[in-house]
Amino acid sequence: MSGSQTALKEANRAAVVEVLRRHGGLTQVELAGATGLSAATVSNIVRELSGSGLLEVRNTVRSGRRAQLVTLAHRTGIALGVHIGLRHLRVAVADTRHEVLAEQTLPLPFEHRIDTTLDRAARLLSELLDRVGGDEEEILGVGVGVPAPVDASTGVISVPGIMRGWDDVAIGHVMTKRLGRPVLVDNDANLGALAESRLGASRPFQDSVYVRASFGTGAGVMIAGRLHRGFAGTAGEIGHVQVDPTGDICLCGSRGCLNMVVGAQQLLASLRASRGPLTLQDLVTLANDGDPGCRQVVEDAGATIGTVVAGLSVALNPQCVVVGGELADTGEVLVGPVREAIRRRVLPNHIAPLEVVRGELGQRAEVMGAVMLVLESADVPTTVLDVPALASASE
Amino acid sequence: MRRGSVLVPEGVQEETVVPMTTDGLGAWSRTPVLSLRQVTRRYRRVEALDAVDLDVHAREVVALVGDNGAGKSTLARVVAGVEQPDAGFVEMDGAPVTISSPGAAHALGIATVFQDPALCDNLSVVANLFLGRELRVRPGGPLDEERMVREARQILDDLTTGITSVHRTVNELSNGQRQAITIARAMITRPRVVVLDEPTAALSVVQTAEVLQLVTRLREMGLGVVLISHDLADVLAVADRVEVLRHGRNNGSFDAASSSQEEIVAAITGAPGARGRAFR
Repeated sequence: MSGSQTALKEANRAAVVEVLRRHGGLTQVELAGATGLSAATVSNIVRELSGSGLLEVRNTVRSGRRAQLVTLAHRTGIALGVHIGLRHLRVAVADTRHEVLAEQTLPLPFEHRIDTTLDRAARLLSELLDRVGGDEEEILGVGVGVPAPVDASTGVISVPGIMRGWDDVAIGHVMTKRLGRPVLVDNDANLGALAESRLGASRPFQDSVYVRASFGTGAGVMIAGRLHRGFAGTAGEIGHVQVDPTGDICLCGSRGCLNMVVGAQQLLASLRASRGPLTLQDLVTLANDGDPGCRQVVEDAGATIGTVVAGLSVALNPQCVVVGGELADTGEVLVGPVREAIRRRVLPNHIAPLEVVRGELGQRAEVMGAVMLVLESADVPTTVLDVPALASASE
Repeated sequence: MRRGSVLVPEGVQEETVVPMTTDGLGAWSRTPVLSLRQVTRRYRRVEALDAVDLDVHAREVVALVGDNGAGKSTLARVVAGVEQPDAGFVEMDGAPVTISSPGAAHALGIATVFQDPALCDNLSVVANLFLGRELRVRPGGPLDEERMVREARQILDDLTTGITSVHRTVNELSNGQRQAITIARAMITRPRVVVLDEPTAALSVVQTAEVLQLVTRLREMGLGVVLISHDLADVLAVADRVEVLRHGRNNGSFDAASSSQEEIVAAITGAPGARGRAFR
């Protein structure tokens, strides 16, 4: 009896935390409406969780009346994360325990413009910051991930031509001017690697590789628990490893790069005659629904990516390869062939076999990596609160 | 894509490529759910629409772009049944239909969301959603509040609008949430095609993000969506195909996943030689 009551209480707490994460800040009345819990229950949970430092209550104004705004606590500072993808922009506002206080995703057009996109990122961040009742002084920094190799010291994309119109722009400088806080720029696969190794699937391992299979493919390398970027930030750029010596010329200038074989445009083009014009998301959805053609496309992509990652694994000898990005949402359809291709080529190891697993953080990995980048560069205590409500609420 | 001035006979489809539909795997529908053929609409001496063609397939977002006066809103009004075309015809699933009134459009499964959200500020979310279409316990009987609340919650959840309570009055909501309510209101009749006229005008960037995700969601639910907007970045972010109107005429069709903004701007502004690449 008491067991089920505890479970119910736990579930109610989780519901409150989850709703706050989705909306940033809400009044208690709004919380009751959003969770379906009674006003009294909400009031009890808010009192309890703000007592334990998980929630904060502050004064605000709603519909011209004074009200109490409830948010997840962020007294020790806020880290802002931005992930600029080829077709979307994802931003997150997180506290020093890497708990996401608010997040939003904005779809972006093909070949989106650097000025528009950075402007929108800055405006999204400041709007979300307002929602969680955060101050500018609380911001510890801003992490920005882009789908291209970045020279970490200048925040400039280090290989020209990969993102049209983005060359030679000091992304960090532009964002610092907007937000007035320190900005760190890095490659998105690097950030995914960082996030998965701190919070996700490769947490138990010191040496790991993160493969991001999205519109293009990239990888991030963790060596001895630290991100290995290489001299100009191009370490792990597996999207530009040659896999087809007679293939098409890539944006980078080389022939038959991995991206020219398993890039979204190539994958979708192969389905066009039989399935019509699809988006990458359609491909993932259909593969998950069991469409044989779409599954085959993803499986073949996995096998091709696997051969390249196998080479990387022979060179680096990681304990674990984590597969993320949109295509990893197909689960074993992608990860299975990647694993098989790697295991077939990597030297057998008697101590522990190389693990190839799907990422645990899903589409959030890169933006969480951006947050981690800020938190690790800022000198703040980053203890992880062991609250079951939070663990179960995160995706 | 352009069919010139020749009427395409009924049943003849030029598309060689078929978009994906939701009615089960393997059922790739070649027939557009809604098509306009040579639709013309004149106001006195002005030709607001001059032999315009437009196809919308299930699970497809078609962006309709053009300058002021290009005919975008006239086209929306024709599809909504507010205005009648002077020439040309409209087909649904390949069969000719007449959209003689807004009621007829609803009955055919076409919902249109116009630019300014026509909401009653003093009523609750649920009352607004069912305004004029209230559910009753039995015909002529009392209102079935419970069912309306349940269905309202269902629709708002399906659309993942993030609107917290269906009992709040609409004047408490943000502009983005109001836009979400107008779209949800269109969903009450379970349409197959939704026409959105400038849904992101006057919204903040977070609200724009919410509405754009809503459009993606409509597509995932298997609807055909016509998205009318001035903001190229917004429409290109979620559209599958971009149709340009210029002075009431088709001026190009673009694949949104591979067309540059310059090409589309050139077609909108009528730059010489800019007619759009053939798509499909």
